[in-house]
Amino acid sequence: MTIRRAACWVAVAVAACLLGGAAPSPAASPAADQKAFQDYFTGRFPDVPFSDFANGPYAVNAPMRKQWEDIMQFPPYDFALDEGKTAFDTAFANGKSYADCFSNRGLGVRQTFPYFDTKSGEVVTLDLAINRCRTANGEKPLPYQTGMMASITAYMAETSRDKPFDIKIPDDPRARSAYEDGQKFFYSRRGQLNFSCASCHAGAAGQRMRGDILAPALGILAAFPIYRSDWGSMGTIDRRFTTCSLQMRAAPLPPQDVAYRNLEYFLSYMSNGVPISGPGTRP
Amino acid sequence: MKSFILFVLLTAMALPAHAASQAEAEAALAGASQAEASATPGNRWVPAEAALNAAKAAIASKDWDRAVTQATKARSLALRSVEQSKEQETAWHDAVIR
Repeated sequence: MTIRRAACWVAVAVAACLLGGAAPSPAASPAADQKAFQDYFTGRFPDVPFSDFANGPYAVNAPMRKQWEDIMQFPPYDFALDEGKTAFDTAFANGKSYADCFSNRGLGVRQTFPYFDTKSGEVVTLDLAINRCRTANGEKPLPYQTGMMASITAYMAETSRDKPFDIKIPDDPRARSAYEDGQKFFYSRRGQLNFSCASCHAGAAGQRMRGDILAPALGILAAFPIYRSDWGSMGTIDRRFTTCSLQMRAAPLPPQDVAYRNLEYFLSYMSNGVPISGPGTRP
Repeated sequence: MKSFILFVLLTAMALPAHAASQAEAEAALAGASQAEASATPGNRWVPAEAALNAAKAAIASKDWDRAVTQATKARSLALRSVEQSKEQETAWHDAVIR
């Protein structure tokens, strides 16, 4: 009897392994992940309109929103916006300009970045496309984290304001792999503090981390580039990824590293439908 | 008896601590560098890199004791970062919003 019962348990255990005991699939499908992700945040913050997730912490904290509205009387990114427009409209030495490198001459296209380039098999961010445009036209690439790169992306983002994120994952295993790498990066703990991106921007979204209100991951990139009071200047997504890493005491990767581009791809795809609000301001 | 114990304690305190040699410092640095190299980029820890750099600086200034201390710290932190990244290879699945 005992042997028979033990055999039953073994059979149950084997069946469980066969049915679901193997390594869990990280992604049922990107579309299913996206729905679960968006449902999670809209469920956590039922009073926040979907489009307001573009405003990060200001969407989920009323006192901060009031301060932000006051700040926006004179947006601190205005100087960058002017500088970016001038640079965007200025021809390169060879007579061409940024407009020649983008669809719709670079206006109103921010919401489609980053995209997966099936020719090169990699994720192309707006910042990377800007520098590739420069080098293709004989100009030196710009530093990625601040300065003119932030100004040009600020201007391009401003021409896309209110256009919803529209990120595609083409039917290409490399695109799916890039998406999954970004997803893995988002959820993996790293650094001496053993935090993941999700620790702050999913589980603790809307809560305080010292003096900051943690922005929900949904729509978190919609406002970039941003003027951050903590920095006292403009910064790109690369700058934020770098400072996030340092805050977790994780050694940051170089700007536009494949891992950062894949992370941006994942986060932007998760935010499909959230309107572009950049350039933005943050505390 | 009390004075004997006091004598032993005072003598022990007066003895110089073992001073690290150059060879020990360099061996410690090699061990720390190897541990840090085994952590993949993206999974390295800032304090591990800082301690490794401090160990290198100490060797450059021939402060062998400090070099050993910093290299030991760097190695320990680097090994923990490797452990973390191995654990996260599968653990991250449990955190996915589904």
